[in-house]
Amino acid sequence: MSMSDTIHVQIDRADGSLQRLIGLVERRGFHIDGMSMADIDGASRRIALTVRGRDAARSIDNLGCQIDRLFGVSRIGAQSFQSEAA
Amino acid sequence: MSVAASKTAPAPATVNDTATGARLLVSSLERMGVEVVFGYPGGAIMPIYDALTGTGLKHILVRHEQGAAFAADAYARASGKVGVCMATSGPGATNLITGIANAMMDSVPMVCITGNVPQGVMGTDAFQEIDILGVTLPIVKHSILVRDAPVLVDLPKDVQFATATAPFGFNIPNEASDVDHDAVAEAERFIRASERPLIYIGGGVKIGRATEAVRAFAEATGIPTVATLNALGTVPTDAPGYLGMLGMHGTRAANEAVQASDLLIVLGARFDDRATGKLAEFAPHARVVHFDVDASEIGKLRETHVAVAGELKPGVEALIARMAAAPLAIDPWVIRCATAAVHHVARYDAPGEGVYAPALLKQLSEAAGDRFVAACDVGQHQMWAAQHCRFSKPEAHITSGGLGAMGFGLPAGLGAKLADPSATVVTIAGDGGFMMNIQELATLKRYGVALKIVLLDNSSLGLVRQWQELFFEENYSEVDLSDNPDFVKVAEAFGIEAFRIDRRDQVQNGIARLLAADGPCLAHVVINPKENVWPLVPPGKSNAEMMEGA
Repeated sequence: MSMSDTIHVQIDRADGSLQRLIGLVERRGFHIDGMSMADIDGASRRIALTVRGRDAARSIDNLGCQIDRLFGVSRIGAQSFQSEAA
Repeated sequence: MSVAASKTAPAPATVNDTATGARLLVSSLERMGVEVVFGYPGGAIMPIYDALTGTGLKHILVRHEQGAAFAADAYARASGKVGVCMATSGPGATNLITGIANAMMDSVPMVCITGNVPQGVMGTDAFQEIDILGVTLPIVKHSILVRDAPVLVDLPKDVQFATATAPFGFNIPNEASDVDHDAVAEAERFIRASERPLIYIGGGVKIGRATEAVRAFAEATGIPTVATLNALGTVPTDAPGYLGMLGMHGTRAANEAVQASDLLIVLGARFDDRATGKLAEFAPHARVVHFDVDASEIGKLRETHVAVAGELKPGVEALIARMAAAPLAIDPWVIRCATAAVHHVARYDAPGEGVYAPALLKQLSEAAGDRFVAACDVGQHQMWAAQHCRFSKPEAHITSGGLGAMGFGLPAGLGAKLADPSATVVTIAGDGGFMMNIQELATLKRYGVALKIVLLDNSSLGLVRQWQELFFEENYSEVDLSDNPDFVKVAEAFGIEAFRIDRRDQVQNGIARLLAADGPCLAHVVINPKENVWPLVPPGKSNAEMMEGA
């Protein structure tokens, strides 16, 4: 079984934004093993996704690029944003 | 919110004018320079149709919403502008879906406007209510910039009626990306170190308006070129060094060059499986330099040695400037590729008196000349057109590449002809796909669109039949269409000139008649059901394992 990775995403609160994010992760060949979400200011959300590639060919870096171009995604990284100043 | 609608209210002309949502939408389209909208009305979009009357927008009433989406898609591909289509809620919206997916797969800019039920009843399973936003999420544009794709705008009916102040003064982001000069310098170093470089051109070149830059790069360096299905015409078919399409139905010269190359210079291509064949054995000796506007395409399927992410045109222009310093010493490779291209040139001397479709398509494109634009359906004829037609520019070849949607050809021809009325637009279709949107003949007639149609009729689903012959032990399951209607009579019933070509000696006059027709015209061409598309890389095999016909 492949290793899991955690991706931290900040995404606008908009119709369909969660569905779009989760749909993309699964459609690009990753299982979602865990997910936590926190509202930031009513306008956006901070989401931590623990994901695992369906097979060894799935690249977490490429998934990051795919998520980064999603509409409404303002930040993405391997580290949590919570420790940073708002 | 006010729900008053006024038929006589003028379109808002300036910022801060108040108007209904429907009128604001229509005014927005006009302000953005939209000229043509393809659509079909219904209950939930009636306020927008009401607001359309008397505006400068030309609405083309199709006969099925899928036709509207395909026509808008081809309009965009032919014109370089955004295609626009609209439909009502529920079935109107769901009928757009294949067209939206088609535009998504081939990165076509398209705006799809759907009406929806009023917000108050959303979520109650109201009449003709469908969550079209949810349904289309995976097949619409994900980002503001990066690459072209379809966008869906869903407007509940109460929003169309409600009035608001026009928030005009659009601020369209135009963040031209900086060229990564370090990466371009690295690309130059790899190219100069290569003995067998090859340019692999994708549809992104056309979309990125980098056609001239890529032509100049190929000419200046002399590096041979191959193209994907969506990139045909980027380098003119008869340009020196051009080896043809790569992949499943590509030329032997192109596939052999890819397999022998030591450096692929990939420009706006995405290593699609129909181009690469078995990925693990694709271009086994090649390092990869990849230019793409979409960083998520780089390294997606194939390891990249030099990544140049960003707009293609300035990136390639920067590379040309660097390459000008000294010519490449790749003559043995260039000669080897050119020799292979001559050796494997297509033959048109098929035996018999029946019509040989590849020859007909070649003659057709040559007779139509530089104004030729092919709007292809999906199937054997699509591959023959790709292999044998001459294309002067990438916009001359409109095809459903990524999705492979049968039924595209006729509405695509409609959209392309409306986008460029001076072009000689020819829909090339098979009998299977043609029947999928045959109702759009009525649209051609209504608007007098002088589209030419070449209907290559083999009385079967030819490409499926071919695979059943080759890979399913000739078990011909559900591919027989020998009870097709008389297509000449069908076209005539729609009021469209039509004639039949049965024999090879009728082809030349038939093409002349088709091209000379003033209005829409259909040539029903009867071809041998057993004719196959060659060469062929069997599915899942390496491009080195091309099959040829007997």
